[in-house]
Amino acid sequence: MTPVRRWLLVALGVCVLVLTPTAIRSLPVADSDVSAADLLQRVQDSASVPYSGYAEAVGGMQLPVSDQFSDLAQLLGERTRLRVWWRAADDWRVDALDITGETDLIRSTDGLVMWEYEAARATYTDDPPVRLPRAADLVPPVLGRLVLGEAVAEEVSRLPAVRVAGREAPGLRLTPADSQTTVDHVDVWVDPDTGLALRVAVYGAGDTPAMTTTFLDLTTQRPAAAQTAFTPPPDAHVDYDEAVDIAAAADRFAPFTAPDRLAGLDRRITPGVGAVGQYGRGVARLIAIPLRDEDADPLREQLLTTTNSRSGRRGVSVTVGPLGLLLTPHAHDRPTWLLAGTVTQRTLSTAARQLADGPELIR
Amino acid sequence: MIVTRGLTKRYGAVLAVDDVDLDVRTGDIYGFLGANGSGKTTTVRMLLGLVLATTGKIELFGQAMPHAARSVLPQVGSLVEGPAAYGHLSGRANLSLFDAMGTGGPRRTRRARIDEVLAQVGLTDVGRRAVNAYSLGMRQRLGLAAALLRAPRLLVLDEPTNGLDPQGIREIRELLLQLHAGGTTIFLSSHLLAEVEQMCTRVGVLDRGRLVLQEKLSVLQAPTGRTVVRTPDANRAQALLDGRLERRDGSRLLVRGADAAEVNALLVGGGVRVDELGAERRSLEQVVLAATEGAVPGSVTP
Amino acid sequence: MIGVELVKMLRRPRTWVTIGLLNGLPTLVAILLALTDLGPRPGTGPAFLSAVLSDGTLFPLAALAIVLPFFLPIAVAVVAGDSVAGEAQAGTLRYVLTRPVGRTHLLFAKLVSVIAFVLLAVLVVAATGYVVGTLLLGDQPLASSVSGTSLTPAQVTGRTVLSILYVVLSMLGVAAIALFLSTTTDSALGAALGALAVLVASSVLFTLDAAAALQPYLPTRYWLAFVDLFRDPILWRDVLRGVLLQIIYVAVFLGASWANFTTKDITS
Repeated sequence: MTPVRRWLLVALGVCVLVLTPTAIRSLPVADSDVSAADLLQRVQDSASVPYSGYAEAVGGMQLPVSDQFSDLAQLLGERTRLRVWWRAADDWRVDALDITGETDLIRSTDGLVMWEYEAARATYTDDPPVRLPRAADLVPPVLGRLVLGEAVAEEVSRLPAVRVAGREAPGLRLTPADSQTTVDHVDVWVDPDTGLALRVAVYGAGDTPAMTTTFLDLTTQRPAAAQTAFTPPPDAHVDYDEAVDIAAAADRFAPFTAPDRLAGLDRRITPGVGAVGQYGRGVARLIAIPLRDEDADPLREQLLTTTNSRSGRRGVSVTVGPLGLLLTPHAHDRPTWLLAGTVTQRTLSTAARQLADGPELIR
Repeated sequence: MIVTRGLTKRYGAVLAVDDVDLDVRTGDIYGFLGANGSGKTTTVRMLLGLVLATTGKIELFGQAMPHAARSVLPQVGSLVEGPAAYGHLSGRANLSLFDAMGTGGPRRTRRARIDEVLAQVGLTDVGRRAVNAYSLGMRQRLGLAAALLRAPRLLVLDEPTNGLDPQGIREIRELLLQLHAGGTTIFLSSHLLAEVEQMCTRVGVLDRGRLVLQEKLSVLQAPTGRTVVRTPDANRAQALLDGRLERRDGSRLLVRGADAAEVNALLVGGGVRVDELGAERRSLEQVVLAATEGAVPGSVTP
Repeated sequence: MIGVELVKMLRRPRTWVTIGLLNGLPTLVAILLALTDLGPRPGTGPAFLSAVLSDGTLFPLAALAIVLPFFLPIAVAVVAGDSVAGEAQAGTLRYVLTRPVGRTHLLFAKLVSVIAFVLLAVLVVAATGYVVGTLLLGDQPLASSVSGTSLTPAQVTGRTVLSILYVVLSMLGVAAIALFLSTTTDSALGAALGALAVLVASSVLFTLDAAAALQPYLPTRYWLAFVDLFRDPILWRDVLRGVLLQIIYVAVFLGASWANFTTKDITS
């Protein structure tokens, strides 16, 4: 064989190896004739479907925050690899993997355990109604239900099917009717048999998604009970914490309460329950957290040094993709509020004005 | 034993070896002569399958190379462009590794064969020393030992006496002659005329990639049909040899006629004192020079 | 021929010097850990380093994690880069080939010898890690997996063996690249540096979001996936992909070496 022929043979082999995955990916996907409304209904009804799998979430929102919020910043700004075993809404385990260890959340009817491998620490808490977003929220079916749970048929349209985790998944596009939200649209691809969202992409302004999460492996069998059970290893530190994060802590312990209505948005949980207010519906969401000075002051410093932050009478604000943040100024008689959500800066400053000028809300 | 037809190697625009038809016969000690850069080493490498010919055919033992390398090369011992060995290992370990390579020589006799070749090249005493500590001459001997390991039918040697002292050169020459007497054909590539002249039975001369001469040494050195006379009475001799004198060079006369005795009788009869007298033979140097200057051999006057 | 190459590799002083150097860093780390009792902050530093503070039996893995990103690939690149070019440089290549040794056969034997070197190096690093770890950091009857479940000593051993095999396989790509470069030049150093340049490029691209489309093809992409063997249950996904990717690299670059070397003019 001549050298030229041998090189051609090798080149041919390389082409086959490189192009095979591409070819498999570009195999035509049979589209489903399921209607948008029907598909939306299936997603909304999928809460009880058990599954397990491996997903990757990529956030494109770089939050200029640290300390108490650094986990959140990592979640929204970086790649998160997730393993999930889901038996029921109160019986699941989600592992967030990194190259040197993992941080796992295990939910049982007793509450929540967080296992941090590198610290060899297991932390027991309850699973509060008010909290910051966590890794488990990025599991595609969870995020899918979060964004589509309150959508109505008029807001959704069909997208062509794509193949996700080996399944042919018809797509749905949610274009929110609400003018207060900064979310432009959300694309969700759904397993038509179970209604599980397999891939979710959230778009603010622009063509690149602010957050995508997608299954790479999925089985819809019910995982074994042992898989979602957790016993700390013998040499682990075991902690019991009263609140899972700063929002949960504020909700429970801050001596204030958020108003029932803010910037035209209704409070989501029974009024008067806790200090933190969650407002809005669908993808127009707003959270108002009263902060202690020792938490608020470093956060304010940090936001002020961020290049694209704006400082005004209502406080310092910053916009990261579809996410808006506003920290109200220091006041003697009132708490500093952290307002955050997928709502416009106008909505945030209206909310800040109402919190500053409205009646005092001490509980 | 070695036959090439139209052997040509081209490196880009440079023609390194040009249409060479070698013919080495069984029992030859073939002297392959040429200046540095004349294409000798490239030719040797092509014979051994290291460099692939651009065009042309090579046959060793009647089998095509490099196609039949697997069956041909085990019967060939070679030394190409200086010896090489694994420096951190001893001479013995090197031989043992080289013997085990490829198809490998028989393992059972390996030790004995290594002892034998070490004795042949005179390295018995230093066989266990690391090659790094060897002199160039010792390395040359080790290379030769490696070539001899499998008792080859054909030895292809490129400058085998390089780096040896005169004593070493003589030992190696004697070894080669002894191997030749034992039936080994030797292909000896060299730029040392004296070496080739002393040992070889046939000679090939390569000049700028072309084989300009290939002949038996005895033919090249056959009497030229003239007689050389050295005499203090050059003028008288010239007169006596009237018409037969081809050239005079001081006291040295070149006389037409191959019969030295007849010339001698003529001169002595004429009262000419003769210092020296004999049939003219050309030296290999003269032959090579003549051949490489592009002239036809035989028509050159020294 | 494989036997000959193994003997050459094993009897070469450089092999043992390299392995000795490879062991230096993990041993130093173990000593520092034992003296200071300071683990790396979570998410930083090599995997398993925080875990070994309480359980020295995991130190072989930490030692592998320490040498895997730089030291081991450098050693592999040097050894594989030397494999053909080194013989060409020393002049022995022409004598090897006229023994005769088939050229394809020689390439294969060289690759096997490099793999044997990696296996040997990794085993020595792991064994030294075990000795150093248990002596300096103590041991524990029950280790915990990364996922927080308990592992029996038998499970730890089994998974450590799998990790060792995985690390060896991970080096195949570098070895094949260096071997290919080694057939293209007579400079062993050049071949080794070339292979290292590929690795550095791969590491840079791996951290670059803009190169996301290339990342599944990078030879270093799945190197650290051996941590996945210590999750519970084992996460095979990246491990299998890593093995497949290395096999593809070997196929491609061994193929390229073959295409280049089988009719190359040996002029060294």
